[in-house]
Parts: sequence; structure tokens; C-alpha cells
Amino acid sequence: MVQKTVKIANRLGMHARPSAMFVSHASKFQSEISVEKAGLRVNGKSIMGVMMLAAEMGSELIIFAEGEDEEQTVEALANLVSTGFGDLKDL
Amino acid sequence: MADLTVEKLYRDRKNFLDITLLNSESGLKKIIQNAEVHRPGLALAGFMERFVNKRTQVLGETELSYLNQMGREDLLSTAERLFGNDIPLIIVSKGLTPSLDFLEVADKHNTAVFSSRLTTSELSNRLSVYLDAFFAPAITVHGTLVDVYGVGLLYTGKSGIGKSEIALDLVERGHRLVADDVIKIIRKAPDLIVGTGSELLGHHMEIRGIGIIDVEKLFGIRAIRLQKRIEVEVHLAHWSDDLDYERLGLEEKAITILGVSIPQINIPISPGKNITVISEVIAMNHMLKVYGENTAVEFSKKLAERLHRQAITEDYLEADYE
Repeated sequence: MVQKTVKIANRLGMHARPSAMFVSHASKFQSEISVEKAGLRVNGKSIMGVMMLAAEMGSELIIFAEGEDEEQTVEALANLVSTGFGDLKDL
Repeated sequence: MADLTVEKLYRDRKNFLDITLLNSESGLKKIIQNAEVHRPGLALAGFMERFVNKRTQVLGETELSYLNQMGREDLLSTAERLFGNDIPLIIVSKGLTPSLDFLEVADKHNTAVFSSRLTTSELSNRLSVYLDAFFAPAITVHGTLVDVYGVGLLYTGKSGIGKSEIALDLVERGHRLVADDVIKIIRKAPDLIVGTGSELLGHHMEIRGIGIIDVEKLFGIRAIRLQKRIEVEVHLAHWSDDLDYERLGLEEKAITILGVSIPQINIPISPGKNITVISEVIAMNHMLKVYGENTAVEFSKKLAERLHRQAITEDYLEADYE
């Protein structure tokens, strides 16, 4: 099990599009992924769960992964979040 | 879980408990740490051993008349002893008000004193209802909760296995969706767990290929319910030739959630398999068991009897030379 804490970087937080981007990236990995914010933990491959976290800019997320590709998984997802979701930066 | 401050209790349940604050607001910041309610009769009389100071303290008519017959000095020292023990709050029932001296000591120790117009027993009951709900053990799980014929089925399994699609199919057949994806489970009694959804998600769900849908808007009020006791877990997984699936139903698998054991049924998913009908059968079979009918056990008994009878008959025929 690997975990990493990241800060939400984009201005509008994890709204629908960043959440969709997050789960579609997450679904490409084999690992079991979960995301936690303020004690609430949800499945990282489920869009409803990720959106439910309602993670605003500056809030901290902990990304957990367990499986064969856990290292790459956490690295890739943490990178996605901390860079403000690439092209979606301004959203 | 956020702490339960006296202020939160006051804000959330002012009307339900029918309370008004009698002294300064400095006591509202205190934190209530447990669900119990206590009447500190013995503590007022001076017996402080085993005084459960962390509980919400309720004073009734008896306690108040005891305080009222005291001289001022006695009252002050009694109040000092009570509030000095760091109690979270006091609620006085039947609309009674303790003396100003008593309230002053409360202020000095930053402890809120409320007056409620309810009777002592009604007040204690309502306090317990609120406090028990707040302090009940709770977890969130990934799954889908559907009421099928009144039986709460909790679907679990990997993301993308088709939990939401099964729920949709069940809703179409007249069953009711409780929550999809994020299920908050609360233990309401030692052997009872109840699941609800989140306020934000409501009865929305994601269907791969379509996106987010609102089950309440699409199927109407009959298709949803807000909470449901969880009775059976249905675990979905892709069909695997290496795994042994239950063939008889004589042995029941169980899973423990928040210390409550419920039956767990493993259903392998493969193309062309109708999980909706299987779900209805699971629910009905569970009801049969609740009503004392265990089909697998009955059938196996019948088979055993038949084998026994056959053996006797054969013996008889072999020994019968008529």
C-alpha cells in the first residue's frame, strides 16, 4: 500500500471535469485506489465518490493505491492533482 | 468526525429539546464527549466518588427543590463542587430555573445551563435519541444499497463491475434505491446497521456511457428511499474458474460490518447472467430464512430421509421370500 498527500492546485477545486479526469486516469491502473479528504475515504475509480469529497482549492487529499502498479499509480495521480489537472488549470 | 459542542446541540435541537440558555454564552464551546445522560442527585448531596462528570447532566424537580432548600453558603459550595468537576452542560427540566447564585458559579466555570419545558423523562429520552445518533459508530463504504422487497441488499465489488447498472435494473422492476457509490453505514443498535447516502449525491448515479443521472427525477419518488437497514451483502466479482462458489447454500458466509454480522453472498458475474432476478431471489430467500424456512437445509433433510428409507426397503425386499 502506497499513499501520498497532495494539495488541490486548481482554482475551482475538484469539480465535475477534474473529477472525471481523475477517475479516468485512475481506471487505467490495476491497483485498488482510494482517496481521502478530511477523514472521508472513497473509491478513486468512482466519479460520484470523488465528486462527493467536494475538494476545494488548497485542501489536502490523500491518495492510496494497493496493487502491482501502486507506485506509478500514486505518482501519476498525485502529479495530476498537484499540477492543477494540466489543461484544465484555468477552470 | 467533528466534535459535538454544546453550541451544536443548542443550534441543532433547540426546538426538539425545547431549551433556552439561562447564563452566558461562554459555556457553548464545551465539548460533549459521550452519549450518556446523568442525573447528579448523589453528587449534589456530596457523594463525588464515581461521579460521571463527562455526561450531560439533567436536573429535575427533585434536584431543584433540594437545591432551593439550601442556605446560600451550602448552595455555593455545592455548585462549586459540581461545576468544578468540568461537566459539559446542565439542562433543567419542567421549565424550572435554578437560583442566580447557581448560575453565577456556572458562568465562572464557563458551563452552560439550559432550561427545558419538557418533563425529565421526556427530556432524557430526546437527549438520548440525539446523542446516540451522533455517537453511533459509522463508516463509509463503496457500494450500492437497494431495498429489494423490503430487504436491504448492499452490493459491493470493484469499480466498474456493474453495481449501478444492477441497481438501475432493480429500480425499473419496482425496487427502491437507497444510495449509490458512497454508503454511510451507522450502527443503530448492537445488531442493526443502517445505510444512507450522502446529502450531496442524493440519488444520483453514474452509468458508464451515459454519465450522471438522477434516479429520483427519472423514476419518481417510488424509486427511492432515504435509509434502509442492511441485511445481506451481495459481493460481485468476475467469474473465476479457480474459485469455488456456493452450490448448496447449506453453509452461510458472513461478513462483519461495525461489529454486526450479516450474511454475505458471492455472485460471479458472467455475460448473459441476470443478476436482477438473482437479487430478487436472494431477498426472498433471506425472508424465508427470517420466517424460519431454510430451503437448502429442508431439501438436504428430505434427501437424507429418502436415502434412509430406500435402504430399509431394499433390506426388506431382499429378506422377503414370500
